[in-house]
Amino acid sequence: MYCSVFVWSYRVCLFQIWGESDERLEEQVGRRHDRVVFSFSFVLSGCGSNNDNGTGESNAPPTVSTKEPESSESPSAEATGGFDPEAKAEIEFMGWGGDSEKAVFQKLIDSYMQKYPNKKVKYTVVPPGEYYQKLDTLIAAKKTPDVFYAGGAQFNKFVSSGILMNLQPMLDSGDIVDPGNVWQAALDRYRFDGKLVGSGDLYGLPKDVGPWAMAYNKDLFDQAGLSYPSAKAGEYTWDDMLADAKKLTVVNDRGKIDTFGVAGYSLESAVWANGGDWIDYSTGTITIDTPEFAQALQFVADLSLVHKVSPSPDDEKAQNGYSRFVAGKVAMFPMGPWDQPAFWDLPFNWDIAAWPASPNTGKTATWLGSLGFVVSKDTKYPDDAFSLAAYLSLDRDSQKQNYELGQAVPNLIDIAKGEFLQMEKAPQNRQVFLDIIEDYGRPPIEVGSKNTKWLDTFWQDVSQVWTGKKSAADFLKEEQPKLQKLYDEGNK
Amino acid sequence: MKRNKTTGYRRKEIAWSLLFVTPPVLGFLIFGLAPLLTSLGLSFTSWDMLTPATFVGTENFKKMLQDEKFYKSIYNTFYLLIGIPIGMVISLLLAIMMNRPLKGISVFRTIYYIPVISPIIAVSLLWQWMLNYDYGLINEFIWTIFGVQGPNWLGDPNWVKPSFVMMGLWSGIGGTMVLYLAGLQGISSVYYEAAQVDGANRWHQFRHIVLPLLTPIHFFVIVMGVIGTFQSFSQMYIMATDGGPEYSGATIVFYIFQEAFKYFSMGYASAVAWVLGVIIFIITLIQFRFSRRWVYQD
Repeated sequence: MYCSVFVWSYRVCLFQIWGESDERLEEQVGRRHDRVVFSFSFVLSGCGSNNDNGTGESNAPPTVSTKEPESSESPSAEATGGFDPEAKAEIEFMGWGGDSEKAVFQKLIDSYMQKYPNKKVKYTVVPPGEYYQKLDTLIAAKKTPDVFYAGGAQFNKFVSSGILMNLQPMLDSGDIVDPGNVWQAALDRYRFDGKLVGSGDLYGLPKDVGPWAMAYNKDLFDQAGLSYPSAKAGEYTWDDMLADAKKLTVVNDRGKIDTFGVAGYSLESAVWANGGDWIDYSTGTITIDTPEFAQALQFVADLSLVHKVSPSPDDEKAQNGYSRFVAGKVAMFPMGPWDQPAFWDLPFNWDIAAWPASPNTGKTATWLGSLGFVVSKDTKYPDDAFSLAAYLSLDRDSQKQNYELGQAVPNLIDIAKGEFLQMEKAPQNRQVFLDIIEDYGRPPIEVGSKNTKWLDTFWQDVSQVWTGKKSAADFLKEEQPKLQKLYDEGNK
Repeated sequence: MKRNKTTGYRRKEIAWSLLFVTPPVLGFLIFGLAPLLTSLGLSFTSWDMLTPATFVGTENFKKMLQDEKFYKSIYNTFYLLIGIPIGMVISLLLAIMMNRPLKGISVFRTIYYIPVISPIIAVSLLWQWMLNYDYGLINEFIWTIFGVQGPNWLGDPNWVKPSFVMMGLWSGIGGTMVLYLAGLQGISSVYYEAAQVDGANRWHQFRHIVLPLLTPIHFFVIVMGVIGTFQSFSQMYIMATDGGPEYSGATIVFYIFQEAFKYFSMGYASAVAWVLGVIIFIITLIQFRFSRRWVYQD
């Protein structure tokens, strides 16, 4: 499940949660990530590099690939051999997850081994909280698994340390993967040009994509006599949302707020929509000290501080936004595709909408999470490892099963735009997920960093703004040099 | 002839002694000394486990001097030390109460000892619920008795450390109590009788017999308490997500853990670990020096 990407605080969060059932717990674990770690996301070097790639399909510029260090040479030489379905191979595959994820993958691997009886796959599952520790230890001991999960900052770290195999030659030479049928944004996430992630040769295949959308409680909107937020980007603005949220917020007899208009509003969405950003990865400059950023941060903070339409940090401590939303006490709340199974059981109607657009730019934005399958540079069976990764990533049956279980949006475009959109279950506006993937979703902030200490520090310190101790502008001005120093120490 | 025989015997004895001594010595060399020296070496490098370590000289230590989080976690750790004297007073009082031939006394002793053998993870989870701002037992209690809203224990930077101290008291008192109990029972009744003859009241007995004769235990409790506090980690790991609000719950070991296993800055983490080691060493040394002045030895 995608939500377990942020391994670190997985366990820690686990304990902070109000969980009823195990599933709920897991969902909420994911939930916390968005606020705590997930939000520790990152942006590529702006949309620039994104757009470069966004236009064509396999437009990995050959000039870039030749610039690659030797790491890309040897696999490409081997790759010319191509995938031989009959050749014997033993592949180690390591992932993380709970019992359900393990069962899904074990089934997938069994069917792979049935298809290719000469390939043996050894599947190891590690608890999410220990995954990267275990992986790093294996790498240091030169026992890297052939195929493993990597996402976000960890992918960046691995690829820039030369741990991963360049998959571009195999993608180009073989017919295992049709890159035209896989989300461009999902593939770009695993490209690396020797310096930055986001363009260049392919070093991984997506396990999933996680568009972060905004869900809303239809019943609450109906009760308040309001029309639903638009599913189209740019139509529903911050002002519209705030006006609606004020009408949706209900105070009970004891004077306490019973129902909030909105909770967990994504700061990334607000900042990016307003034209700000955390960092410019192409120059390595922290850019939080801009008026656009300050305005967006203040807007999100004021939802609770001034307008009282969103739970305060204390309210969140007592009962987090997720539990409030599922209890029908929050009208608008962010969600990812992995939240669907839990939301299907909700006793009220709900749907998803585009994130509100900034009135200053008329634009909206949100993050698009992803986890990937990568192949070790030192694998003895590069072609087999690639074929396994491709199978896990793009097998039609498992893609179908995954979306039917409500775990993910299909990686394959034809399935996503076909049967996935036709699906009976909520949300009705499934198109919003696809819009985010194709249009206004951005890689989480952390994707461009090897070391995310600077970003973690930001999320820790920004609590001073949530509690109203400092204004957004003052805080950001003080914070910028501090983050710049941390970023330079960890990433240069 | 005779000499040869003894040499043979001696030789055999030496061989046996070596045989017995080798496993622990090897164990120490491989699992103790080697990692110790390796981490010392690593503390002068920059190493992320993926790429080879590079020598950076004293860079890590210089960085530490300007590292806000390092100072914060040191401060937090020292703050937690106040739990030691408080715990000693309460444990001693408890031990005195338990040191009576009451019916069912062993039941009480067991009850107080249960937290000590409870896994720290379980205890932390339990306390996390008790400390919950809105629904926790503690704030519920404060509300019922005093009619005021209790503090946001784990959410307010000023209350996180007191929460840890409180929890540490609860889970640590039992162990200290047993030590004191043993100490109390080791005091010969001769002293009390002699004091009574001299007309000493209860307080005098406590002040001039019990307290001085328990000094070796005080000393032990303080030394172990300080070392234990400097090494505290698990409860922060569970209860203070990512160091707690404004990093108010992070201890030095927590910081080392984060640097090493979250950011994989092994060199820097090793450097901080060595500084911690030196701090503990110095403090313990001071304690032993001063102990001669106040610890009563038979």
